Amino acid sequence: MEFEESGIGEECGVFGCVAAGEWPTQLEVAQVLTLGLVALQHRGQESAGIVTSNGANPPTYTTLKGMGLVNTAFKQEDLLKLRNVNLGIGHTRYSTTGISELQNCQPFVVDTLHGKIAVAHNGELVNASALRKKVMRHGVGLSTSSDSELITQLLALTPPMEELDTPDWVARIKNLMTETPTSYSLLVMYKDVIYAVRDPYGNRPLSIGRLVPISKLHSSGAGEADTEGWVVSSESCSFQSIGAKYYREVQPGEIVQISKNGLKTLSVVPRPEGDPPAFCIFEYVYFARPDSIFEGQMVYTVRKRCGRELAIEAPTDADVVSTVPESATPAALGYAQQSGLPYVEVLCKNRYVGRTFIQPNTRLRQLGVAKKFGALTDNFAGKRVVLIDDSIVRGNTISPIIKLLKEAGATEVHIRVASPPIRFPCYMGINIPTKEELIANKPEFQDIASYIGATSVRYLSVEGLLSAVQRGIESHGKDERISSSTKTTRYGHCTACLTGKYPVELEW
Amino acid sequence: MSSPKKVTTEPHVTKEELIASGSWVKLEKTTYVDPSGSTRTWETAKRTTRVANSAADGVGIIALLKRTLHKDCVVMVKQFRPPLGCNVLEFPAGLIDENESAEAAALRELKEETGYKGEVVGITPVTCLDPGLSNCTTQIVMVHINGDDCANINPTQQLEFVEVVLLPLDEFQQKIDVLLQKEKIIVDSKVYIYAMGMSQAFFKPRELPVLKQ
Repeated sequence: MEFEESGIGEECGVFGCVAAGEWPTQLEVAQVLTLGLVALQHRGQESAGIVTSNGANPPTYTTLKGMGLVNTAFKQEDLLKLRNVNLGIGHTRYSTTGISELQNCQPFVVDTLHGKIAVAHNGELVNASALRKKVMRHGVGLSTSSDSELITQLLALTPPMEELDTPDWVARIKNLMTETPTSYSLLVMYKDVIYAVRDPYGNRPLSIGRLVPISKLHSSGAGEADTEGWVVSSESCSFQSIGAKYYREVQPGEIVQISKNGLKTLSVVPRPEGDPPAFCIFEYVYFARPDSIFEGQMVYTVRKRCGRELAIEAPTDADVVSTVPESATPAALGYAQQSGLPYVEVLCKNRYVGRTFIQPNTRLRQLGVAKKFGALTDNFAGKRVVLIDDSIVRGNTISPIIKLLKEAGATEVHIRVASPPIRFPCYMGINIPTKEELIANKPEFQDIASYIGATSVRYLSVEGLLSAVQRGIESHGKDERISSSTKTTRYGHCTACLTGKYPVELEW
Repeated sequence: MSSPKKVTTEPHVTKEELIASGSWVKLEKTTYVDPSGSTRTWETAKRTTRVANSAADGVGIIALLKRTLHKDCVVMVKQFRPPLGCNVLEFPAGLIDENESAEAAALRELKEETGYKGEVVGITPVTCLDPGLSNCTTQIVMVHINGDDCANINPTQQLEFVEVVLLPLDEFQQKIDVLLQKEKIIVDSKVYIYAMGMSQAFFKPRELPVLKQ
């Protein structure tokens, strides 16, 4: 829950749609894009943007961008004015460092030698500063501080072997992928196609769905001829609400061409020297919506398994198990089921109190947390409580909660954290606080229980987390659509913030 | 002294004489008294199929195909019409059978001509089709088709010479104009006027239709 509280965020969500069949399409592509972004709202609330296209040669692009939630970012009359929309991409942005200006909002549109492209990016380039210098040495000027603009400019550079009038997008994208190893899930819109790209380490997620008639959504009878369009999204949770069937993930290193005729894998860029993939494990722990599917398994199920693992690693002699609403609930249920202790609700969340943003001092921040929760005293007064949380980062959001429970009558409050302690920074897009601020790096961590006021504190081990995550992954061997080059190392997860082992060499 | 009052009569038909008759259509000489009181005649075409207790000869159907996350589309039919000697783009239509309501006739004709199963959402009063030529009347029935229902996905219709044409409502007039440029067809006036009305509604609600741009 501390991720939510301190505004530690996943940088953004991307979404794209291409109408199948004859164009101009009768599919309301702009509406599909908007609904897709609404489902990805948890990945970014600061601003939203969509770029729609008629897919002609040359195409007409229309950009709609706005601050705030998707519902308020786009004006109804602007959406109604859109004509001949056959494909489009969209983006929800999370507040990171720096000024939140409309110009920084994605998707970016840039004119290249072969025409306009629009780009939506999720992730953070690990070698951004070195790359910026390189690009500027080439004579390219940059107008924002964002990585995403950097990506757009890199795509606009002409690759060495390209012929004068034939764009080779595979070469351009591959060129980008050799310049920067991670992390990025990209949507590049060009003329009448969308290229969906995932970095070779697969650090950020990207899934493809197939739009079918509503009545066939839940039956198995939706054949190829029923395809009304293709959608691609950071998370599959958006698919259900727009009438799309989950199709598959974009594989690490894969470049998929999505057109009105369907999908085509243009290339799969391998990782150097057989490095394993590095899918961000925190997507499972916290960031993704519980109903999204990664690597063939539902996020909710993984979180529940983490709870079970935690109960095995750190059992407690207590009376009830509960959660810090809402993100820790699946883990708490898993803990309760494994331990046999009853699951009760102890906290009532006020959903109208927003994130306790950057408060001037610790005291005020703690007060904000207290405003957010009320104690359901009847459920636990006089009892020993096991409280499950999905993360403890700085430690100042859980302490007021423990205080609240004790004052309301809990005789003991045992904290069980469904993830290992975070000790290292992330360079792939999660803005974790500096090393010094992380509680796991402080001397107080030796006796964290008394530091936060709990009776006992236990974290899930890294092995436990990896086991919970990897147990349910489908064998990639079953997926015939992917070339055999990726079958070498089937799956792998980035645990850099937990172990200090980064998937790639970091350049300084 | 006041000027003499002009004599006016309520115009009315005094005699109807059959001149010729076919299986479907007949020609009559209609004798009537005009507003000034003079007796005149008119050549009138009539259908032989008009049902006794039916308000109108037939129905025309304005059907909107509604699907989730899709544009609403108007369902039309294109077929060869001998009187004009070419293809005509029109709303599905048909004659009302014995003991059939206008609404029932509309849904039946829609299913026969297009394969879609619809629901009636409105109906016009009895309206005339070509008052200078015939006494033919019609009621236009507004229908919504639930496009999400599996029965309405890729429907089949039995009539091989009738082509179903779907055009999105929000650019109806433009799409018809495109069709007119591509093919040698005549558009039924009800269709074109409806399209113009939709343009006004969608794009120029406050503009006077007669203003030239």
